[in-house]
Amino acid sequence: MKAQVRGRCWVFGDNVPTDAIVRSHLITRPMDEIRRHVLEGLNPRFPREVQADDVVVAGRHFGQSSGRAIAVRALKATGVGCVVAESFARTFYRNAFEMGLPILECPGITGLVSEGDVLTVDLEEGSVVNETTGGRAQATPIPPFLRRMLEAGGIIPIARQLAEGVDR
Amino acid sequence: MNLVEKILARASGRARVTPGEVVIADVDRILLHDLSCYLTAKVLEEEVRQPVRYPERVVVVFDHHFSPPTEEQARMLQANRAWAQRHGVHLFDCGSGNIHHVALHAGFIQPGTVVVGSDSHTPVHGTVGCFATGLGNYSHAALGLPFGKAWFRVPELVRIEVEGTTRPGVTARDVALFLTGQIGEGGMIYRALEFAGPYVEGLEVFDRWLFPLIAVDVGAKSGHVQPDERTLNFLAELTGHRPEAVRGDGDDVAEVLGWEVSGLEPQVACPPTVGNVHPVSEVAGVPIQWAELGGHGGGRLQDIRLAAQVLRGRHVHPGVRFNVVPSSRWVFTQALREGLVEELHRAGATWFPPSAGSNQAINMGALAEDEAMVSTHARNFPGRNGSGRMYLASALTVAASAVAGCLSDPREFVR
Repeated sequence: MKAQVRGRCWVFGDNVPTDAIVRSHLITRPMDEIRRHVLEGLNPRFPREVQADDVVVAGRHFGQSSGRAIAVRALKATGVGCVVAESFARTFYRNAFEMGLPILECPGITGLVSEGDVLTVDLEEGSVVNETTGGRAQATPIPPFLRRMLEAGGIIPIARQLAEGVDR
Repeated sequence: MNLVEKILARASGRARVTPGEVVIADVDRILLHDLSCYLTAKVLEEEVRQPVRYPERVVVVFDHHFSPPTEEQARMLQANRAWAQRHGVHLFDCGSGNIHHVALHAGFIQPGTVVVGSDSHTPVHGTVGCFATGLGNYSHAALGLPFGKAWFRVPELVRIEVEGTTRPGVTARDVALFLTGQIGEGGMIYRALEFAGPYVEGLEVFDRWLFPLIAVDVGAKSGHVQPDERTLNFLAELTGHRPEAVRGDGDDVAEVLGWEVSGLEPQVACPPTVGNVHPVSEVAGVPIQWAELGGHGGGRLQDIRLAAQVLRGRHVHPGVRFNVVPSSRWVFTQALREGLVEELHRAGATWFPPSAGSNQAINMGALAEDEAMVSTHARNFPGRNGSGRMYLASALTVAASAVAGCLSDPREFVR
């Protein structure tokens, strides 16, 4: 896990459903194809122009509706460095940590950024700095259990330890 | 401890659990449908490479396809069948019904247990007093299938107390839609919901079903109704076995919210989201071309009976296609016995095989951009069924609108 992510931000609203991250007719397609359609219904420029380490910023309840993990996998495949939202739908939240996509819950973030601002996100401290405006926000700290999962790169590498109660 | 805490404490081998802590719990049931089985099996085989530890706990239901419309989908189902057979898990093939109704009817859901599934509406099983929630493919592939376990953050419990007596023409579905609008999408993130109060407790089990069903759409982790005599009798009748029930202690809740629903009129969730709920009078007259009874919230025997009340002596509007999708083969059998199949057929409705219906237009129900559908489905996000607009309502409102050709107040049709 990188300690810091620095990139341009893409701003989305409240209650973005997983259906809008990856449309359901695409879910059995190869990832190379899915990746080119991520979030296109909400911002057609996003899948075309997103670059490695860009930051997705969203409002409340990001990733609601279906709990399909492919929404997280597809976002990861676009190269985004992390997702910062006011809050997340709980299945999206779980999936992100289980698949090693860094996300931060950061109340007030949507009032702090405009599309295209450059952000530096410190995943360890949970701080978000808007380098374009100088604004700052503090995210909710990642609980230790989930930090461990993120550092391991997801749930698969630590599954046996969890199941067998080692170091619980 | 409340019901969720009691269940999670038992399942994780602890005397007590408290909200906020993370537990590793034994899961009693894992439910996968046709799409998620494929994706989960892929992760299990390619990245985890472990056998399924407790195949008897795993239930796979093909409900998005009653029949695959493309060769690609046929191959996916074939792969699922082979996987299910190889691991010896339970499989219900195309035409069995929608995953949650099938699992409940087959006796796979019991009070006091931990039920997980890939379908986000898995919390609906809390109707019979279990802890049920939706998890992603990686939860199932990494911990669920190889070890029979899952991790949970113990949620705070919110009790939702509903009281009052609804007027004729207003159903449990209208009350559930109303609560979705009141609480709001994401209004209960990470929390567990307990639906209580004289209104909910007075409902038959398949009407209570409509309340835990909305848990995910208001952001909650789970929803339940405390099991009572009615729950246990229902399960005894369904499965021939009367289970023991676990009940929570009343006071361990983070918050109590209450609604009185006596004055409520029929409700409609309008595009673009499930939380955009309005009284039917505000949207009556909007033209519709499709109507459907089906989905996790519909296609119950109760819905078919309600639709028959409206259609008796009437006919579906010539500009509307009215599709009826029973939620299970059991429901279709009952509808046959009660003469409802012929009655709806003669009134112009079209029967479809038991399945999840036009959920995401995987095997039926796509809409052209200037079309609109009113249905008993649980979701209406844009793009889910093509480009058209989707309205969610009770079976009475769906049937009344199918007759009138536009969104209509069913109270003009049932007296």
